[in-house]
Amino acid sequence: MKETDIQLMFCGSAGDGTIAVGDIFKRAMAKAGYKVIAFDIYPPEIRGFGKCISRVRVTSRQAYSLKQESDVLVSLNDSYAIPHVPEVRDFGSVIYDNAPITSMAEGEHISGHLLPGQLPYGLRIREISDQTTGGSKSKNIVALGYLAGLFGIKPEPFHLIIRDKFKKKDPSIAESNLLAFDTAYTEGASTFRLDFIELGAPERQEIGSKVQMMTGNAAVVRGCLDAGLDCFFGYPITPATSIMERLATELPRRGGRLLQTEDEISAIAATIGAGYAGVRSATATSGPGLALMVEMLGLGVISEVPSVIFCSQRGGPSTGMPTKTEQSDLHLAVYGGAGDAQRIVLAPTNVEGAYRCAGKAFEMAEKYQTPVIVLLDLYLSNRYETVLLPRQNPFEGESSKHRSRVERGIPYSRFAFTEDHVSPRTIPGEEGGIHVITGLEHNEMGRPNDQSDMHNRMSEKRHKKLLAALDHPGITIHKRFGDTGSVDVGILGWGSTVGEILEAMLMAQAEGISCSVMKVVMLSPLPVEPIQHFFSDCREVLIPELNYEGQFANLVASAVSKPFTRFNRVPGVPMQVADILDQIRRLAERAKSSSAA
Amino acid sequence: MGNLRQPVYLEEKLKQVRESGRLNIRSKSLPTWCPGCGYFSIVDGVAMAINRLQISQKDVTVVSGIGCASRFPFFLETYGFHTLHGRTLPVATGIKVANDKLTVLAVGGDGDAFAIGGAHIPHAARRNVDITYLVFDNGIYGLTKGQTSPTSVLGFTTSTSPYKNQDQPLNPLLMMLSYGTSWVGQSYAGDPRHLSEMITQAMAHRGFSYLHILSPCVTFDKTSKTYTNLKAQVRWLPENHDSSDKMAAMKYAMDTDNPPIGLFYKESRPTLADNLNLVIESARGQGARASL
Repeated sequence: MKETDIQLMFCGSAGDGTIAVGDIFKRAMAKAGYKVIAFDIYPPEIRGFGKCISRVRVTSRQAYSLKQESDVLVSLNDSYAIPHVPEVRDFGSVIYDNAPITSMAEGEHISGHLLPGQLPYGLRIREISDQTTGGSKSKNIVALGYLAGLFGIKPEPFHLIIRDKFKKKDPSIAESNLLAFDTAYTEGASTFRLDFIELGAPERQEIGSKVQMMTGNAAVVRGCLDAGLDCFFGYPITPATSIMERLATELPRRGGRLLQTEDEISAIAATIGAGYAGVRSATATSGPGLALMVEMLGLGVISEVPSVIFCSQRGGPSTGMPTKTEQSDLHLAVYGGAGDAQRIVLAPTNVEGAYRCAGKAFEMAEKYQTPVIVLLDLYLSNRYETVLLPRQNPFEGESSKHRSRVERGIPYSRFAFTEDHVSPRTIPGEEGGIHVITGLEHNEMGRPNDQSDMHNRMSEKRHKKLLAALDHPGITIHKRFGDTGSVDVGILGWGSTVGEILEAMLMAQAEGISCSVMKVVMLSPLPVEPIQHFFSDCREVLIPELNYEGQFANLVASAVSKPFTRFNRVPGVPMQVADILDQIRRLAERAKSSSAA
Repeated sequence: MGNLRQPVYLEEKLKQVRESGRLNIRSKSLPTWCPGCGYFSIVDGVAMAINRLQISQKDVTVVSGIGCASRFPFFLETYGFHTLHGRTLPVATGIKVANDKLTVLAVGGDGDAFAIGGAHIPHAARRNVDITYLVFDNGIYGLTKGQTSPTSVLGFTTSTSPYKNQDQPLNPLLMMLSYGTSWVGQSYAGDPRHLSEMITQAMAHRGFSYLHILSPCVTFDKTSKTYTNLKAQVRWLPENHDSSDKMAAMKYAMDTDNPPIGLFYKESRPTLADNLNLVIESARGQGARASL
């Protein structure tokens, strides 16, 4: 069977329906049974003429990331699409309007900018939109119909999604758009093909699980709901807002409560308050919000109250680049706050991982009585992937270490020293468990106590109890991919960039380079031993990440003494696979020459 | 005031206190406040109120911020959370959203409430979170040894305003009334009977109740809000004051020379929990329709 792997790029200005048409395309492809990964780039302004790009990669087996080069470019606005013409591969196709407007200055039309080897497909996009819908608003649907016809993709899934898209509007709008789609489809199907782009049949769906297409943030919401989230407190901030928006609809349906607080400080404060009262509670924010939250995080650590914080990173520092992606809040998440305040930090690498980490975060927060940060980034929050969700809920209910029974006559010690460093916890309303918790250093009873011995013992308790999280069941803490045993090049990665790293590894392997990837999901506490083991297997180690300093590299440097190579980029967009591949090639050369010497 | 002609015997008084059961509500920890501090009568007032309202101690959670006043939860035998400076109300809100059955008391000083914590008050008030907020106002930062606070009077000299305080003090009661607080009262630590009565009323109110407690700092304020000065200034709200009349309440709140004590304003409206339950109801209604 032929493997499918094509990538489309829709490019236009805000208002052209660029993101919308990309959305219809990827939904239709997922419905048809293909695997999809997609990411949109749009300007921070709501109105205006910013550039919008929607990239969709369609494959038979789930891809790790988008490709560097697209097979097809669909232009909905030539002046924005022209700079992206070089991203179309050799003998790839460019679809454009060959009669856009009556007059056009020299050099403004995209057809004059195609590179040798790129295949042009001009269509009267605007005209067909006018004829079928009486306006130019449906140019995007016309372009979609044309490309579906051109590449011989079945029209039925598109019909379903278009109907669904317009279901809240007047039925005549759906009908005219379907007519626009079909008219263009016929044109496309009868166009003489210059290219060899082809889609194989989609794979059959796996049994026992459900295939769905969703974003990282949607997966977080599913994880929260499956883990039995009770209360959510949040304050809007890009790119985390959609977590709160979805929960605002979904949580009350399950009897949960959501409150939009006055700021991020109250959001985390209320989350910790609810955690103290014994329910599963969470908040979601981005870097600037997390910066406001770290003081409360310290309170959560010292008072040993469970809470879950989702942080979707964007470009920083300060307000930075709100609609651009970056991995630069690692230091803040791992170290942020006053004093020795170790907490659990999880960083999923893909959409499915976002679901698992979200759910497992609640288990961990309760089991180890601590704040748990789930670190996402804009790229992972907003990118779409087809994911396999288990039909059976994979998350445990209450795993909290409640006090088993009230022992009469023995005063309750909230912070009793135990073998696993986790103390039995009671919640307000429970008979026989009355206690006060505090942000002051305290004794076992929770009474303020700043004796040096007590501070030593309590600090040890708070740090050591977290080590058990490294063996927490049902979650990938770290994982190795690619060649086993000793390799020339090892690539250590975290967060969403692991997708690009894996794609680069596959390409390097195809070139005959012996290489291997290790992804680290738990950033705190850090799985030190497995990382050291990986280092001993690799001649050269590369750590690519989307921040200037090499924040993960700094973390790794504190755990291993062997030298490694940092690769840092802050373009605001995902890392280029080709750039990582170049680094791998360079290190492979070095490994070869050093082993020869 | 007490009848001077009838002698009070210590033994009798002690017996009375013991039998009232309110000592059981006090914890074994001795308060860390200075001798003579107004806060002693507040902790006793709260114990009396819990006792009088017959609330089970296990169902009470006292939340505080940072400061002298915020040490409060340690001195009661109830659940308690001594949180961060200024964050009393959002933590208390979280507890109440999680479990509406709990009786939640939020306590703090004037700095905790109106300086660092000022941004949270309007939101707790407008949401009508069903908690009681007691602010102990001594017009000074005591735990950091005597600095100017947002309620320090003009011209007050402290270690951070050695050339006299030039910042106009806030009017907390006027703020609370304009924020939409559903129960607003004022009391005075020098009048324990009035105080415990007002705390009881505030705790009995369903919704966000705010009690402003004037309380002298005997260590760092020898000139401004002392027992002597407050005793001379404080007066009772007139008996004919209509506690549903917000304009009248505001007028009395503006009298800062002779702060009136008593119930300023009271209204009945849905609490945050009521509204969140409504949200659940309408979400479930819509969900049922969507799945049809």
